[in-house]
Amino acid sequence: MDSSIESPEYQVNLDVFQGPLDLLLFLIRKKKIDINDIPIATITREYLAYLDKKEHINLEREAEFLYVAALLIYIKSQMLLPRERPLEDEEDPRQVLVDRLLEYQKIKAACAILRQKEEDELPKWKRDVPPPKFMSEELDLTEVSLFNLAEAFFVLMKKKERENIQIIMGKEYSIEDKMNEIIEFLKENQYLDFTEYFGSQATIEEALVSFFCLLELIKARVVYAIQETLFQTIKVWIREESPK
Amino acid sequence: MSIQLSNIIESLLFVSAEPLSTEKIKNVLTGYSEQEIKSSLDLILKKYSSYPGGIQIIRTGGGYLFETRSEHDPWIRCLLRVNRKNKLSAAALETLSTIAYHQPITLAEISAFRGVDATHSLKTLLQKKLVKIVGRKKSPGKPLIYRTSERFLTYFGLDSLKDLPSQEEISKLLEEETNED
Repeated sequence: MDSSIESPEYQVNLDVFQGPLDLLLFLIRKKKIDINDIPIATITREYLAYLDKKEHINLEREAEFLYVAALLIYIKSQMLLPRERPLEDEEDPRQVLVDRLLEYQKIKAACAILRQKEEDELPKWKRDVPPPKFMSEELDLTEVSLFNLAEAFFVLMKKKERENIQIIMGKEYSIEDKMNEIIEFLKENQYLDFTEYFGSQATIEEALVSFFCLLELIKARVVYAIQETLFQTIKVWIREESPK
Repeated sequence: MSIQLSNIIESLLFVSAEPLSTEKIKNVLTGYSEQEIKSSLDLILKKYSSYPGGIQIIRTGGGYLFETRSEHDPWIRCLLRVNRKNKLSAAALETLSTIAYHQPITLAEISAFRGVDATHSLKTLLQKKLVKIVGRKKSPGKPLIYRTSERFLTYFGLDSLKDLPSQEEISKLLEEETNED
């Protein structure tokens, strides 16, 4: 037990106790009382004295302490009431409390043993991060529909619109050039991130042309568009020539 | 032959973050009999126990794990820049041992045992993965049911739940405490 609790100048601090049972157990130990035969009046007096020493009781947190105080008083009142016939053992109102205390005492003792084990184990290090797991290259991918592509495209266009582009470039884009550009890009970069790529297009016109090219390329089965999971960006991959 | 097999098992141990059970080894080394695997495993255990190196093999959570020796802790912490490892708070430990002895258990039951609300410490324990949710009780409100996890066993260096402090150990401790008072 904590040495500060033993010292005479110890100020009551309910935070030290892990709840009302802990306080009760402490009082029983201090008074050297047999847990099976608690003099309820004495222990209640002690218990209430401890609660009194605390100037402010935080109702939210200390309600449990008050509950046990009420329980103790209830038990005492039950014992004082005259009975027509003597109480049998299991009817003793103290029994419920005693059972709880005995069980709680066991848990406290187990805690002390486990704490020792914890202290023994903490300085020993185990591998706690598993080495990287092999990620299968063959992800479960779904090919996206035309509608997914179009939807993503219009979201991007909206974004571009908001940028309020003022300079009108007089450049014309040919579908053929653009198609070659996309294929070149794919050959170099392995795949094309739909959002990123169109975000980098200079004008709406250019983006539109690129989009048409992409649709054309998908139709011609030169490239394919996939989305790993819902709401992720769409990626465009080049179809590899079948090795013949 | 058996030397080679024990080398394979040793490498499996090396990469394992969770206790490596003979069951798991058997699933990997399908071509070998249980007897061969067991004797090879014994060979490794003997090798590590006979040579007092930086690493030891411990039996925990129903399997085996590599572990450093406690005396090397200061240097390891320096390398990993860990000032100290945090112990569980008194409340969390109390909640944990309540769960360990009375599992499967609900939050309300834990609180009843401790005489104090256990919501907060239970949350800490779940975060530390020392306890896990195993289902819901078929009673009003369908409360969640908790159990200790595999990590709980390794954390305290226990092989199984049977290794929890026994009734005799607890009684002995309580007797000692009464005598001290």
